[in-house]
Parts: sequence; C-alpha cells; structure tokens
Amino acid sequence: MERIPVATADTETFAALYERTFPRVYAYVASLLRDRAAAEDVTAQTFERAYRKQASYRPRRGSREAWLFGIARNAALDELRRRKRRARLETEPVDDAAPAADEAVELALQRETVRAALGALDGRERDLLALKFSGGLSNAEIARVLGVSETAAGTRLHRTLTKLRKACDE
Amino acid sequence: MSDDTATIERDLEAIETALGSGSATHADPASRALQELALTLAADAPAPRPELAEQLGRRVEEGFQRPAKPNRRAPFADLREAFAPLAGVAATILVIVGLVVVLGGGSGSDDSADSAGGGGGGGSEAASGKALRSPAPADQSRDPFSEQSAPRSGSGFAPGQPNRRIERTFSMELGVPVKEMARVADQVNAVAYRHGGFVLSSSVDSGEGGGSGDFSLRIPVDQLRPALRDLAELAPVKNQSQTGRDVTRQHVTAKDRLEAARAERRSLLRRLEAATTDAEAEAIRRRLDIVGGEINGLRSQLRDLRLRTSYAVVDVTLTQAKKDRGSLGSFGDAFDDAGKLLAGFAGVTIRVLALALPLGLIGLLGWLASRSLRRRRRESVLA
Repeated sequence: MERIPVATADTETFAALYERTFPRVYAYVASLLRDRAAAEDVTAQTFERAYRKQASYRPRRGSREAWLFGIARNAALDELRRRKRRARLETEPVDDAAPAADEAVELALQRETVRAALGALDGRERDLLALKFSGGLSNAEIARVLGVSETAAGTRLHRTLTKLRKACDE
Repeated sequence: MSDDTATIERDLEAIETALGSGSATHADPASRALQELALTLAADAPAPRPELAEQLGRRVEEGFQRPAKPNRRAPFADLREAFAPLAGVAATILVIVGLVVVLGGGSGSDDSADSAGGGGGGGSEAASGKALRSPAPADQSRDPFSEQSAPRSGSGFAPGQPNRRIERTFSMELGVPVKEMARVADQVNAVAYRHGGFVLSSSVDSGEGGGSGDFSLRIPVDQLRPALRDLAELAPVKNQSQTGRDVTRQHVTAKDRLEAARAERRSLLRRLEAATTDAEAEAIRRRLDIVGGEINGLRSQLRDLRLRTSYAVVDVTLTQAKKDRGSLGSFGDAFDDAGKLLAGFAGVTIRVLALALPLGLIGLLGWLASRSLRRRRRESVLA
C-alpha cells in the first residue's frame, strides 16, 4: 500500500485531510473488523463524526491524524462490541483481496504465513499492528491514540512484531 | 542504555527505514527479518473499493448533509441544547452564591446590628442615615417613639393609665465637611423651627483647624419623626441614640396631689367663712398659705412635666466628616478603604473557592473515572 507522508498542517481543510487519510483509515478499520461491509460503514461513520467534531480538535493534544484515528478506533471498537465480534478478532484474517495473478508465489506464501500467525496475537496486539501498518501512524501518533507514552508504544510494537515473527517461524 | 533498549531502538529504526524505502536491507538478520515482516504487513493492508472512496468523497464535499427526516424534535430543541451548558453553569453559580450568602450571612447581620445600635463605623453611617430617611412600616418595632418602645420606669409605672407620659431624648451625630459646617448649622435651626420646635442652645465652630457644632433642640413629639428624617438628610449620620423615660406616675401623682390641695383649699375657705374667733381664722389663713404654695408648686411641676413630655430633646452634634480631614488623612482613608475592599473580595473569593474547589475536584475525579471506565469497557473487546 502506498504510504503517504503524515506531516500535515493544522489548518488544512477537512477535504484535504480526507484525501490524505481515507485509504489508511479504511485499512485500519478493515484490519480490526475483518468485515468489508462493516469497515465501509465504520469508515464513513468515522469521517462523518470527525467532520461534525472538527471544533473539538486541539493541536496541542496531537496531530489531526492521531485525532482522526482515535475516532476511527472508538467507532470500530463500538461496532465490535455491538456485534460481538470478539470471536472474529481471534480468527484468521479474511483475505481482503485475492492475490494478483503475477504475484510471486513466495510473496503469496509469506502473506499467508503472516495472516496465519496473526491468529496467535490477541486483540490489543492486532490493534497495534493495524494502527502501525494499515493506518501508517508514527509511534508518537500511536501513543496518542492508545493513551500511552511513545516509548511504551515503541516497546509494545517491537514485542508484538517479535512475537509475530516467532509465530511465523513455528 | 541497556542492550534491550538499544536493540528495540535499532529494530524500530530499521522498521521505519524499511517502510520508507520499501525494501529490507538491514545488515543484522534479526532486524532484517522484522523489516520484511513490516513490509508484508503494510503490503497486506486492506484497500477500499474505488466506489466507496468516490461516494464518501462526495459526502465530504457536501458536508455530510443528513437526509431530511420528519422533525420530531420539540420546537426550540436546538436552542435548548445550545443553552443547556450555560444553564448548568448558571445553576452551579447560583447554588455556590446561595451557599456563600447563607454561610457568610453572619457578618452581614452583625454589621446591621451595629448600625441599629448607632455604631460609629463608616459602613454603618449610611445604614443609619438610610434607616432614618426611609422608615419602613416593618421598622416600627425599632421606632424609639412608638408605644412598644416606651421604656418602663423603674420606680413604678402607674398601670391602667391610657395616656402615657414619656420623656424622649434623641442624640444624633452628623459628619459634615468643614466647608459645609455653617450651612448645615443653619439648616439644623431651620428644621427645628419648621417643625414647631425651638433651639434651646447652640454652638458652632467652623474654623480652619476643624469644625464642630452642638445643638440642643426641642421638637414637638408629634413632629419628631419628620424632624429627625429632615435632620438625617442634612449629612451622613455617624452615630445616633435614643432614650425614653416613662413619667406617667409622676404626672398622675402630681395631678392627684394638686386636686387634693385644691379640695383642701376649698374646705379651708369654707371653714374660714365659718370661723368665729380671730385665732381660729388666723390658723386657717396660715394653712391656706401653705396649701396655696403647694398648689403653685404642683402646678409648676405639672407644667414642667407636660413640657418635657410634649417636646422631645434632640441633641445634634456636628463633627468633621472623616474624609475631609486634610490631605494626609484622605490618603490614609483611601488606603483603609482599599484594604477593606480587598479584604472583602478576598473573603468572598475564599468562601467561593472553599465550595468550588472540592466540588470541582470531585467533578474532575468523576470525569476522569468515567472516561477511564468508558475506555476500559470499549477496549474490553480487544482483550
């Protein structure tokens, strides 16, 4: 997935923020929910909530992305609670997109291995990975979304990746 | 820095590098493995349908207009919502102010008690003057000239007498600027004459070194209230006091004795007419002289009592107004006033804070607890 620079001015328009973050917000929500239809609903809900709550954003409390992903995370978790998808979180991730015909077999195998290994992680760890690799947030932004220090976010991320790598090796 | 921390930092940096460049090239195999994993995870991120991006993009451009729904909200619901926080704040302030007033009410009533008692404080001056200028009906109980406030004579009070005879004395101190001393002195005299009274004695000093004045007025009792009101309007009342003495018993006694003396004189006159010897007539004349003297004395006593109870003694003292005592005094007064003002503000602030701080702290703790609880409940789905 194309990674977009996270640097943003606090004065950018909401449309610009949407353009810049929409794919990543969707990717994060979809990674968390594992349900394409629900992810689309929650993504739309996230942007609508953010649009209506623009005045509540305070630059000193973090970047606009961190604020937006905080809204997305709350919406996704609420959706999970509503639909009691806890079980889904622990299942193997749904194949979101079929591998391209020309994709290397090795890469496809590697993806399958990682998807299978993700099942060994708990919900919080998967949430962390989704924020980092689907949402494309920096460690500081992840820390802001999760309400922890940046160091703690980095340490957790490293621990989770190490755990995932071990799970892939097994 | 421990080895673990160094390793974590190295790996995190390697991950960021890989995500930025799109390739895993770290020299350390472990770090490179994490780089590859990170790239796989990033590449495996779900992508949205182009239709969704287009559809949501349109909604963003339109400002997320909600589809029109039948308005089931009560009229002015938006206004109510907008003003709800304001109403909440106003209600909180009202409650706090109410509590402050209730808790801090003691000092206020003390002040008013001072003024009623004729205290010399600056704050009581206005209160005293005001009370005199506008005696409300409810203030009758404090009216020194009403029947209720008539003092009881310690040496007998002649019960059953419908018309009480009360001697009334009122003293009043007015704060007058030196420049105004002569004018106010004239007006004191004028007030006495206007209400049918007179000035028994007066002395006024309006020299540059200071100013003062003393007046002893006699005011008809039925004109006392308006006369006092007029006097109080001449200048701020600094002090006031009143006394009353019930002399009904003396009046009744003198009257009875006068009647008796008159009866005796009539009897003596009848006996004198019937006297048969010179010696007897002489004795009766001597007795008549004595009784005549008694009658004159009693008449004088009654006249004096009548005068004392028909006219109230009003002693008026004019003193230099506090804020008029030279430039140094005014400066000091200004400091005093500023100090009192600051102390008053500080008192109110402390009272408000004493209530607002604990309430605010409780509110803050509650808000933090509910926020934490909500977060935990929300994240419980990830556990």
